[in-house]
Amino acid sequence: MKKYLLLAVALILVGALLVGCASESTSVLDKIQKAEKVSVGTSADYPPYEYLDDAGNKTGFDIELMEEIAKRMGVELEWVDMPFDSLVAAVAGGKLDMSISCFNYDEERDKTVDFSEAYYTTEDAFVVTSAFTGTISAPEDVANYKVGVQSGTVQDGWLTDNLVTPGLLPEANLSRYERVDQAALDLANGRIEVLMGDYVPVQALVAQNPDLQIVYRGVLSTGPINIVLPDGDVELKAEVDRIIQELQAEGFIDELAVKYFSE
Amino acid sequence: MPKPILTIKNLTKTYGNNVIFQNLDLTVNEGDTIVIIGPSGTGKSTLLRCVNLLTRPNEGQIWLDDLEITAKGTDEDKVRQHIGMVFQNFLLFNHLTALGNVKLGLTKVKKMSDEAATKKAMHELTRVGLADRADHYPGQLSGGQQQRVGIARALAMDPRIMLFDEPTSALDPELIGEVLEVMRQLALEGMTMLVVTHEMGFAREVADRIVFMEKGYIVEEGSPDEMFNHPKFPRTREFLWKITELYGKKEKEAD
Amino acid sequence: MDFGQFLSYIASGTVYTVGVTLIALPSGLLIGTILALLYVYGGKITAGIMNLYSTIFRGIPPVVLLFILFFAVSKGINLSAFWAGSLSLGVVSSAYQMEIVRGALLSVSGDQLMTARAVGLSRMQAIRSVVLPQAVRLAIPPWSNEAAIVIKDSSLVYALGVPEILRRAQLIGASSQKYLLAYLSAAVIYFLLVFATTRLLTMLENKLAIPSNP
Repeated sequence: MKKYLLLAVALILVGALLVGCASESTSVLDKIQKAEKVSVGTSADYPPYEYLDDAGNKTGFDIELMEEIAKRMGVELEWVDMPFDSLVAAVAGGKLDMSISCFNYDEERDKTVDFSEAYYTTEDAFVVTSAFTGTISAPEDVANYKVGVQSGTVQDGWLTDNLVTPGLLPEANLSRYERVDQAALDLANGRIEVLMGDYVPVQALVAQNPDLQIVYRGVLSTGPINIVLPDGDVELKAEVDRIIQELQAEGFIDELAVKYFSE
Repeated sequence: MPKPILTIKNLTKTYGNNVIFQNLDLTVNEGDTIVIIGPSGTGKSTLLRCVNLLTRPNEGQIWLDDLEITAKGTDEDKVRQHIGMVFQNFLLFNHLTALGNVKLGLTKVKKMSDEAATKKAMHELTRVGLADRADHYPGQLSGGQQQRVGIARALAMDPRIMLFDEPTSALDPELIGEVLEVMRQLALEGMTMLVVTHEMGFAREVADRIVFMEKGYIVEEGSPDEMFNHPKFPRTREFLWKITELYGKKEKEAD
Repeated sequence: MDFGQFLSYIASGTVYTVGVTLIALPSGLLIGTILALLYVYGGKITAGIMNLYSTIFRGIPPVVLLFILFFAVSKGINLSAFWAGSLSLGVVSSAYQMEIVRGALLSVSGDQLMTARAVGLSRMQAIRSVVLPQAVRLAIPPWSNEAAIVIKDSSLVYALGVPEILRRAQLIGASSQKYLLAYLSAAVIYFLLVFATTRLLTMLENKLAIPSNP
């Protein structure tokens, strides 16, 4: 998936050079306000940030936050669901106005999109099954085992840059998955020994499956999570940042965290 | 003065280094039935296909009535409307009934209305004795029936001349008779026919002239009486008697 | 979430699956047939170009074409995910369908064409009235196969965010942790779609079959 994404992004850059120069650059904020609608991308397969409730509607920390932001922008919210890997390219390509999907800041991503101010902070976690006999006292120890991670995430980047590239973790021992629940499945059936992911969603998985346990928790690849915005649109960023600060000051975000992240 | 319908002058056909036939001259007058005989592979079929412009000769000319059909710029499709051809393997259109087969040329080429085409097609099918099989598909017809439909299909276009390329060679012996009978009737009705065949009985009885071809040349030609009883060349005599022996036996058994 | 809600959430993606298929398959057939006719009857240079087309579009993973069309091409023309997906699949299918039709055309003996010419039909008339009707019957079985493939390949548009069956199964599976149930449900729906389609095509094949006495 990642290969195709890079290809697509490369093509967009070429296309943007050819087409974008000729077209007038209208601010996305203008477009949103004129249409009275903001289209936001998310990948609703990541509880408790974004997932489906019993009625099949989107719900979660990110979802409720975004709904409030749209309300304060004074526009209607149109959700567009896409696989996580496709979201950044979609914003860069103008297919979406913005995206919220538990994105961490990433240099690679920053080349084609912008980030809002952080609206929350996350941590990383390593998860194993009760059958695990190894030791993980430091994060680098996972290099000794078979590791799984969601593809295109900051965890993926961290593992690749810090363990695979220096040769500590053989490429063959790192399995990348399209979604974190796929990785969790493989963890449960023994194909991988350690899963690296975002603390909060992983914690949700652990709560549902007594066989899983978290053996490490800390800030490695993660940290602040942001909304992904179109590249270079200062007005839109200013507006979104303003609202985020407002919500933080009011305690709205803290309330959401309690609602969705309580253990 | 007999009027030539088909005139072939100096016709040569080669495939690569192989010479199929060379410097052939042949004339077919109106109402004639010309039968070409000879060993297989001597270019008889190729000759017919040249007449029908399905293959182009390397040298020489062919005239249909007064039109030189080998000339550059001839409308081949138009020419073929006036030449009817019957094939060794029948080659009926598999997806059409007998009636459909006969009608196709009438509706597509002659642009007749469906009604008129059906009428004409049924007339031809009746002529070959298959009116009651009009709604049968080729897969439901015997070989002899298929070939008769093939003849009706060619006749429907009201051709100036009919070409027969070994029309009975692919048939079971019992079915040969019905086809030869249709051909004999046609000849009696005055149709101009050029027939390639091994059927000596037919040649003897029906042909106005027999042409013996071998190795790409016309060895001899003449009336059936001349060819069978007073052939000029020993090779002619040799071939005719060999074949007659073979086929004559078959005819005797069929009686 | 009870099973009824669960299943109906996944099943409501069927309309997208069917929609994508109903665009991709017929457009693939139209383009594929035209290209096949050009390939078989169009001369050497044309045949070479058709061969290139076939090689390219059968050689690219369909999802790559989807991305190119959606992200790159639609910088100029705005294509929705649904249309970008359906058209990409249509283009890919056209390459495979061209090969199917080409095979069927070649299977109709050259003698049929020759005989039609001998009756006086032009080349175009002969192809249209004699070769094509016979080729159609020969093409139905492999085409039925292609139809099944396109129905299943329609799931690829999930990558662009079209809420079809597979994507819905993924979402509901991840959200409820009931993965096996979600994917099994999806599998059953796909199976029913493919089964119904191939049955219909078999009925068509029987209806068109030319009668013969074996």
